[in-house]
Amino acid sequence: MSKVITFLTLTVFLPFLCNSFSPESPTDRRILVLLDDFALKSSHSLFFKSLQSRGFELDFKLADDPKISLQRYGQYLYDALIIFSPTIESFGGSIDQAAILDFVDSGHDLIITADANASDLIREIATECGVDFDEDSNAVVIDHISYAVSETEGDHTLIASDDLINSNVILGSKKIEAPVLFQGVGHTINPINSLVLKVLSASPSAYSANPKSKLSSPPSLTGSAISLVSVVQARNNARVVISGSLSMFSNRFFRSGVQKAGSDIKHEKSGNEQFLVELGKWVFHERGHLKAVNVRHNKVGEGDEPAQYRINDDLEYAIDIYEWSGTSWEPYVADDVQVQFYMMSPYVLKTLSNDQKGHYFTSFKVPDVYGVFQFKVEYHRLGYTSLSLSKQIPVRPFRHNEYERFIPAAYPYYGAAFSMMTGFFIFTVIHLYNK
Amino acid sequence: MGRSSSTSKDALALFRSLGSAYSATPTTLKIIDLYVVYAVFTALIQVVHVAVVGSFPFNSFLSGVLSSIGTAVLAVCLRIQVNKENKEFKDLPSERAFADFVLCNLVLHLVIMNFLG
Repeated sequence: MSKVITFLTLTVFLPFLCNSFSPESPTDRRILVLLDDFALKSSHSLFFKSLQSRGFELDFKLADDPKISLQRYGQYLYDALIIFSPTIESFGGSIDQAAILDFVDSGHDLIITADANASDLIREIATECGVDFDEDSNAVVIDHISYAVSETEGDHTLIASDDLINSNVILGSKKIEAPVLFQGVGHTINPINSLVLKVLSASPSAYSANPKSKLSSPPSLTGSAISLVSVVQARNNARVVISGSLSMFSNRFFRSGVQKAGSDIKHEKSGNEQFLVELGKWVFHERGHLKAVNVRHNKVGEGDEPAQYRINDDLEYAIDIYEWSGTSWEPYVADDVQVQFYMMSPYVLKTLSNDQKGHYFTSFKVPDVYGVFQFKVEYHRLGYTSLSLSKQIPVRPFRHNEYERFIPAAYPYYGAAFSMMTGFFIFTVIHLYNK
Repeated sequence: MGRSSSTSKDALALFRSLGSAYSATPTTLKIIDLYVVYAVFTALIQVVHVAVVGSFPFNSFLSGVLSSIGTAVLAVCLRIQVNKENKEFKDLPSERAFADFVLCNLVLHLVIMNFLG
């Protein structure tokens, strides 16, 4: 009897145990953290605690642990991945470069860091994501002009950078006052790749070289082309953060003060914690994640969606767009969402007006061309997920009884024909009765 | 100078002789001539209209112009057949000519009404 009761209770409560990532709540829940050694758990505890306090479940594993795997029986066990193991040659268990790339391709997020002496595996994963680290494995970023003033590090590899991307979505609305400390390798991105963004760039005086040996030839990576931290927002809305320094995430850098060489301002606390916590919020979809629902169109004056329109009809188009705030869907307010009425090229392009509550609407006249059109909304903004909606609708020409009955331009011809008839009648009368 | 004045005087004399010859025609024929002038005038108005506005309902234009010109043509045919000085139609009774005229006009107007749109 008790066995039956326990069985029934379990089956009743089983559905409620599945509270993982779903489209209704896009923030990731379970994150796998791969470490080089478990000392990172305590030396980077501030960063991890900031994630855990926001409700993420972190699963710490050594990178060469033979029992780790991202998926079991075709289902992913984690919603996101953090790789804090820059020197790992090959991952343990069933994780390898292809598995990680499939993980990202299926829409999951990734934070990956390299450092001085980063392994080829990490470099290859970063290259697949669109970012190229310096080919020289001994090279780090050196800056003799905007390095961070400190007592110990004399070779200017610890640099302070405040060249941050100008985006409230990615970095939060509060300005980061203090420079960000960085010590590691630099990378470049391809400027024609529109999916990769430089979030933290080096100053124009930085270069990437081996600090222990003399420079035999000019360094290949110089100046602001060096990116220190980059993000990738893929077309399936997976977000990847690639950083060249693991120590940037450490408690030591979070807590230390910073003074940029050449400036008198001494900041009590570096900008690292604010920068990385906000970036963590963005990469795990707590900010900048849009969804468009309730796409509808109808003829002006009617309520339901018709199966086709006629040319020169007046129609209305409406859409609701929401943004995930981390806990709930808030209405998204912007004045640059546009809809196209498209058939091989947009015949109508209108900016949607909104009522500040997330409802966007507009109305226009169907063009004088018939065919199969699409209502297309293509919304790509820096840092936001991209919206690509399209709804097909045919447009037909006039039926034969939908033309105007009497065409004003033809009134003289109507008049002429009828006047000829009356003239004929009058003429016959005169002709017959004329003596 | 003298030659131009003599040519203009000749042209005036020509018009005057035409006018006096015309006034000798029977009244019946003058009425038909008036009818023809009216029909051609209506056709001219329509052509001016299409030159200004464009030929959008082209079927209506054709129908209107055809009704005017067709009426004019049928009236001219009637005049030829009814004119007693015309040797070719001496044996044709004028009633027969008139009946032909009426029937042709009926067919013409039927076609016009269908094509007018």
